[in-house]
Amino acid sequence: MRIADCGSTWTKILDPGSGAIEIITTKELVRRPDERFEVATGHCGRGRCTTYRNELIALTEGGLALVDEGDFSLVDVGGRDIKFVRLKGRKVEKLDWNLACGSTTGATLELLGNYYDIDFSTLPPSDRWVNVTCGVFGMERVLEQISLGTSPEESVAMFLHGLVRNVIVFIGRPGHFYLSGGFCENRCFMRTAERYCRVTPLGRTVLLEGLRKALK
Amino acid sequence: MKKRPPDTVIGYYGFPRRKVLREAREEFGHSFPLVDLDVDRGAGDSGVLPATTCRIISNIVDNAVHLGSALSAIVAAVGEDKCDRGRHAAFLLRNLGFTVIESRFPEDEFENRPLVFSRSRMPLRDKINRIMATIVDPAPQSPFPQTCEPTHGFWGVPPHDFRILDLFPSTTHVYGWVRCVEAGRPGDVALECRLDEGVPTVFFTQSFCAKQDLAHYLAEKHRGLAVDCHREINDSILAKVEAFLKLS
Repeated sequence: MRIADCGSTWTKILDPGSGAIEIITTKELVRRPDERFEVATGHCGRGRCTTYRNELIALTEGGLALVDEGDFSLVDVGGRDIKFVRLKGRKVEKLDWNLACGSTTGATLELLGNYYDIDFSTLPPSDRWVNVTCGVFGMERVLEQISLGTSPEESVAMFLHGLVRNVIVFIGRPGHFYLSGGFCENRCFMRTAERYCRVTPLGRTVLLEGLRKALK
Repeated sequence: MKKRPPDTVIGYYGFPRRKVLREAREEFGHSFPLVDLDVDRGAGDSGVLPATTCRIISNIVDNAVHLGSALSAIVAAVGEDKCDRGRHAAFLLRNLGFTVIESRFPEDEFENRPLVFSRSRMPLRDKINRIMATIVDPAPQSPFPQTCEPTHGFWGVPPHDFRILDLFPSTTHVYGWVRCVEAGRPGDVALECRLDEGVPTVFFTQSFCAKQDLAHYLAEKHRGLAVDCHREINDSILAKVEAFLKLS
């Protein structure tokens, strides 16, 4: 029996019995048409599971499982969208999900990083940023910067800075937030975000923690 | 009166003055149905407007072009009760050869009709359809639905894709422009922004609609959820609203 967070670009799979976690690209999941899960969430999880859970609900329940505080903000920055929940007294005070505008910025950053061979663990944060209205507009700004003579590394760091600013504004400029998702492992993202407020990374399995509750 | 084919209709959009609608029917024929052009009627893309146009305005133009000569006239709300793009649509449609009658709903014609449906217990989809029908027939058909305390709120205009409405419980109260329609006060911004404190409310607009400004402001102020959508609803939007309704 396995549970899965099937995101747009990455799929996280947990065996609750052994605790083993498998992380695969979602393009790999798509090539496994018979892969089924007991409980799943995420855009690509529907139709592959016995029980489907809404992503925001999984995020909220995952946050409550991992964070002991009564009041906190939690944001999941994914490939396709940004999900946010703010809790007060461990009750949901505000939630939001950035969809059409601002979408695919995470996936676009990954594409840019691969294209320009960027190592995000060593990429220095940039003081400058480009306006990342959405993935496509943001990429156009990066290409423009490069054509003006800015290095690809600096241009991608500016995109990343624009993405961070979007996240900070989207979640209401808190003094501290918990971060969920693959960006927890992106050192440049973390260092850029910490220019604005304290950030505590929770890793890539927050939604899986939320899904555990559905098993009980 | 000029003889017209039997499939002739009179189009309208927004909430035209009742007097203007009545006069249009007198002039063009009482027997012809009134057709709300704001609504998705499956018309193809006319190509008249840019892709970044509010879907409701696109519906108006696409429906008119699709109906073509069957449309004897268009009664167009072009005042503060609609929006600039409604006014521009009237201009474009006239230039496309349609007979357009403009309506600006003045404050001194605002009514104070009872909120029979906005506060009722019934499926949200039916509630909004019944309210919008009062533009053409202001006498609500009895029996009236029961009123109820609101568990949730829906603020905004009728969406292009009504599937989003099916997520809401029957105890959802209607606010915003739809409530203004029921009250007979389509340009009353104060009423449009009036809400019941503490009711978890979804503030819905079509993408590229000027009402996004109000929705964003009100959602922040009342800790609600602002949702905008271009064209059809997708799974992400449905999931976002579902989560809000469940967790709030």
